[in-house]
Amino acid sequence: MSTHTERLREQKRQDTDRLMNWLSRFSVHFTLLCFGLFCLVPLLLIISASFTDEIALTRDGYRLIPSEFSTEAYDLIFRNPTVIVRAYAVTLLTTTVGTLIALTFMSMLAYVLSRPDFVLRKPLSFFVFFTMLFNGGVVPYYILMTQYLHVQDTFFALMLPYFVVAFYVLILRTYFAALPSELIDAARVDGAGELRIFVSIALPLAKPALATIGLFTALNYWNDWTTSLYFIRDPHLYPLQYLLYIIQSNSQAMQLQSAVGNITVGEVPTQTARMAMAVLATGPAALFFLFFQRYLIRGVTLGAFK
Amino acid sequence: MKKGISRRNFLRSMGIAAAAGGVSLGGLSRLSRLSAQGSADLPRLVYLFPGAPQPDVQRVQDALSAYMAERIGATIELRATDWGTFDTQIGLINASAESYDLAFTAPWINNYYTNVNQEYLMPLEDMLPELAPNFWASLTPQTWEAARVGGSIYAGINQQIFVKPFGPYIRTDVLEAVGLGDAFAALTSYEELEAIMAAVKEYVDQDETLTHVTYNLGPILTEENWGFDPQLPNSMLVVRSTDDSAQVLIYSQTDEYRQGAELIRRWYQAGYAPSDIQLWTQMDDAWLAGQFAVRVSDIVKPGGNAEVQARWGWAVTSKAIAEPLLTTGGVSATLNGISSISANPELAVQYLELANSDPVFYNMLCKGLEGVHWEWADEDQLLIRPANGAASFGDTGYAPSTDWMFGNVFNSYYGDASQVGAWPETAELNRNARPSPVLGFTFDGSSVQTEIASVAAAYQEFANPLGSGVVDVDEGINNLNQALIDAGVERIRDEMQAQIDAWKSANS
Repeated sequence: MSTHTERLREQKRQDTDRLMNWLSRFSVHFTLLCFGLFCLVPLLLIISASFTDEIALTRDGYRLIPSEFSTEAYDLIFRNPTVIVRAYAVTLLTTTVGTLIALTFMSMLAYVLSRPDFVLRKPLSFFVFFTMLFNGGVVPYYILMTQYLHVQDTFFALMLPYFVVAFYVLILRTYFAALPSELIDAARVDGAGELRIFVSIALPLAKPALATIGLFTALNYWNDWTTSLYFIRDPHLYPLQYLLYIIQSNSQAMQLQSAVGNITVGEVPTQTARMAMAVLATGPAALFFLFFQRYLIRGVTLGAFK
Repeated sequence: MKKGISRRNFLRSMGIAAAAGGVSLGGLSRLSRLSAQGSADLPRLVYLFPGAPQPDVQRVQDALSAYMAERIGATIELRATDWGTFDTQIGLINASAESYDLAFTAPWINNYYTNVNQEYLMPLEDMLPELAPNFWASLTPQTWEAARVGGSIYAGINQQIFVKPFGPYIRTDVLEAVGLGDAFAALTSYEELEAIMAAVKEYVDQDETLTHVTYNLGPILTEENWGFDPQLPNSMLVVRSTDDSAQVLIYSQTDEYRQGAELIRRWYQAGYAPSDIQLWTQMDDAWLAGQFAVRVSDIVKPGGNAEVQARWGWAVTSKAIAEPLLTTGGVSATLNGISSISANPELAVQYLELANSDPVFYNMLCKGLEGVHWEWADEDQLLIRPANGAASFGDTGYAPSTDWMFGNVFNSYYGDASQVGAWPETAELNRNARPSPVLGFTFDGSSVQTEIASVAAAYQEFANPLGSGVVDVDEGINNLNQALIDAGVERIRDEMQAQIDAWKSANS
């Protein structure tokens, strides 16, 4: 009799446990689901708006399902696709070439900084670290780029600013420093020179770190528009993000202009055209992200172990 | 192991991509720096202005340079920067003392007064009469006053419509349907508009597409509509246009403001405007979609109806209510300044002379080359059309469409038959406009910056509800006045009055 009650009680406790378990899991999932929706819905709205008829968009507002389906915005853009294609070319070029050069520079710098027998290790480390804390500000940056380096309106200006990012150098240095020094000694005994040790021993071992920093750098290049804002006037050199920024800010400036009143404005791109531009510019980038997502996640956790 | 392989693949694909990038880099070498070579050894003037860079700019620039080389012995480089980025870029250029010669400046973009205060612009009053005599003579001394800051003129003024004769616009089809064309043409005040609004409301209720008479009632309160010259945006500080003693008033304390607010409240309660406050941008789109029939207050100017129709697709009729008033803000809306570190300021002034008094040069700058970008549709009427059968000027490769930015718009050729004759009319309007008692005065708010910020905040919070008619007028105005006073509007007013008095005694 008593065992039966106990069993019942046991059963009940298990049930409540299971319920609590289910509830907590449900609440976590529900929160995450809501969060996911918050991220996803704006994207869907943009896609839907870009496929909506211009007038219907004004009349009915933004909807998840287009109230009147229309591809006019895309027709408009693809009537003259060179602008967006060129912007893609510029962005792809800066991203690939820039990342490769940046990785070369940063890994070399980080490697020498990680070697305890390097004479200038301390002053050089300080030099790198110092730039993380203090920088000259925008105007000196502008003066350096335009009046000393004369790189304004060149492809190079788009890549130069991210060749060496102090923080990434420090991450790489930490990784290099963790490599056993016996390896390097062994290589030297086998007759390898410094360059050989770096290329054949240090670099292959640091691949995970390089992949991570490479991805970060690539994302920097992909998302960068401020560099172009400062240094690029030639429309042939507009990268994708800057093109988007220009389209948005131009329509804002034009509205400001018409608010001034006694002057007339040019054509403001329609709402749907702007949305279609946004879709075309972010769409492939989003796919790119899905493809590289696992590297990114691994990269984010890289700093966690050492 | 699996991980290692994918990493290797990752790096390898990066390598392949980079190699491909390197190869195409060679092919894309024309992407690299545009060479800035001069046509001769003549000095080259660099002109910075906002606008979308035009594909054919090089060709136009060469033609302009050749024209200038013969006349003033200089060449020009046109450097357009996109609208949204112009302020940032010119800010950097100025701050880093990068050299240029000419730049578009105004109180609303590339701020003229900031430029003057920072000494980025060169005083021109000594050079203008001598080196740009026609340009100098084309504007009255009174008008030049508007560009004067602290005794000096730092920019050339582009002639365009200086006055702001605000008034209502109504869709012609709706006006005809309600049969009140004569009453509309005879309007002299906003009270008289009430009968027309009521008739349109009845029409709207029967119509399927129209949803409201108008979207935004707020512009009725535009200071000029009630005979005031506004002195500082979002501050409510005004000077009555007929008051030669130039007393600074707080607009919301005047009878006219109350009158306007009561009108708005009545019209709002009668359902002439939607109850949720719409943004201006949405208003434009809604107009395009044919949802409303009246714009209560916009600038009514010669050729304005055709312009509105071209932009928003409905034929309109308009009537000015505000008296044309020559104000500092209206005149200084479009200026071209010369950099204080320009190597050739005299040549730059001579350039201003060309741009403002030579129609051939000016139209080349605004419209491009004859036969390439435009051709005559009717030379006697100065009417042009896109060259070689292009559908619009925008398709010809050169159409900045900002004539008012480059010089005297009254010299520009008409691009649309409906605009023909608008310039002499507009010039007439400018000439006959009454000068504001404070024309030429600009307020320097540096000593009351905190107050200006808090007054602007109070204004935003309490004036907008009055402008849309959603609050009771007495209560709304009391709240607004109290908030403005709490925010320190009286201190700004006193400071402004002191500056105006000093300015007046210095000028008399």
